[in-house]
Amino acid sequence: MAAIDAAGRSTREINAAIRGLLAEASTDITVLNPGARHNLAVAILEPVHIRIAGSAGYYCGGLGDGASIEIEGSAGWGVAESMLSGTVRVHGSAGSGAGAALRSGTVIVHGDAAARLGVSMKGGEVIVAGNCGYMAGFMAQKGTLIVCGNTGEAFADSMYATVCYVGGTIGSLGTDAVISPMDSTDVERLEATLNAHLPAALRRTKPAASDFKKVVAGRKLWNFDKREWRTWQEAL
Amino acid sequence: MCGIVGYFDKTGTENQPVGRILLGMLNSLACRGPDSAGVALFGIPRSNQLVARVKIGNNGVSAQRTLELKTAAQQFGAQEFAQNGAYLRFNFRETSDLTPFISTLESVAPDVEVVSVGRRLEIVKQVGSPSRLEQTFAISGFQGGHGIGHTRLSTESVVDLSHSQPFWGHGYSDLAIVHNGHITNYHQLRRRYHEHGVRFYTENDSEVVAIFLADKLRKGASLRAGLESMITELDGSFSCLVATESSLGFVKDPFSFKPLLYTETASFAAVATEEIAIRSAIPGDYSVREAQAKEVQIWQR
Repeated sequence: MAAIDAAGRSTREINAAIRGLLAEASTDITVLNPGARHNLAVAILEPVHIRIAGSAGYYCGGLGDGASIEIEGSAGWGVAESMLSGTVRVHGSAGSGAGAALRSGTVIVHGDAAARLGVSMKGGEVIVAGNCGYMAGFMAQKGTLIVCGNTGEAFADSMYATVCYVGGTIGSLGTDAVISPMDSTDVERLEATLNAHLPAALRRTKPAASDFKKVVAGRKLWNFDKREWRTWQEAL
Repeated sequence: MCGIVGYFDKTGTENQPVGRILLGMLNSLACRGPDSAGVALFGIPRSNQLVARVKIGNNGVSAQRTLELKTAAQQFGAQEFAQNGAYLRFNFRETSDLTPFISTLESVAPDVEVVSVGRRLEIVKQVGSPSRLEQTFAISGFQGGHGIGHTRLSTESVVDLSHSQPFWGHGYSDLAIVHNGHITNYHQLRRRYHEHGVRFYTENDSEVVAIFLADKLRKGASLRAGLESMITELDGSFSCLVATESSLGFVKDPFSFKPLLYTETASFAAVATEEIAIRSAIPGDYSVREAQAKEVQIWQR
């Protein structure tokens, strides 16, 4: 295992050091004393495991393709934003826009997520053990959004084909978001995903997979219909 | 952009290195706005005395102006005058109604401004980055119980001392705010207060937040009720920190536009626009989280 001490070093120096170790074919890198610096481990395209031994600032793990990144503290805005594949795991809480525009891969937050979780995600899985904030899942297009706790207001607003599962209470549903019955495929899929990424010991609340609520798009906003003008007025 | 910070000691001691902690936090946020910087510090309470900080004005030609201000202040029992940067600082007799004091001082000249008054509160702010704040005022040596700070990227009004933050809740002793965001209905609010005779010193939208809260508290609202009313009566984006003689609080707008993170341990609470500010100023093992939309938190002594 290779280690980089971030103390006293700039973001550019830390990221250059990560790339230096990747060039030496390191597969396991620890960043010590990250001090919540921004833009750590962005656009890593190698299947490496990077451990951030503390908190990360904005955009940690963004634009990655294949790396597995573990943040032992909290993460700031836009963690794993636009990730193409790989895993980002946040042991603490995540700031706004976690997993935004995610293409594929998995984002796991052990604590709570702030506003705009998984907005415009186009694939992959976003899993939050705790609660999430305002407008999670806004305009999400594909993939799966799982919140084990409660959601904020305007949940799943104006969505396309993302499927959401909520273990706690929903603050309020966004425009065109509807609750759909959980069938046996949903329960199996949810159970498998949770077991794979969020073992029961890490879940603060432990609702059974069958007790989750499934939220999908009502598809009213998918095609413009002037007879539904009211819905459109609300959405825009 | 802009960066805001706050620190609150929970142990009850009044001699914490609040100045050093706030300066450390502000320095790591200086890249979010180097136009001006300021802090509202809450020091050791005085008995029967208020401390005032007055902008001398007159484009820095201060000898005659300072003399006039001292003469005006003396009828309120002012003593221990000190001139520091663009300010005259002094203590004076405690009073429940600050109106005669403010109007007397500010009638000396139109560009005189009473920047802060309180048993504990002292606001220092000026044009430039947080490091310049230390050069002029040596705030890192300031001890107290809590405080808030601001580093500004100007977006809607000019850059000068008066437009800098924190803002005092003008006329309400020991109330200060810092704000990151834009208040989009501030023209309406200003007009409303203007009709009631409130003087505005700047074109800055954040000034109305301080006036708004001073108005609520004066009418008997609790600090929590005041902060909660911001969620419904203010329009736009705001992550806002408020400090009074004995408390520190924050409120975040319904859309959660602007970042605001906080931590709380057994001995302190700290709030900042970015976690890096808290980590760089306060060592130790604690967890930080982002506030949610409409969240209000208050720490009280």
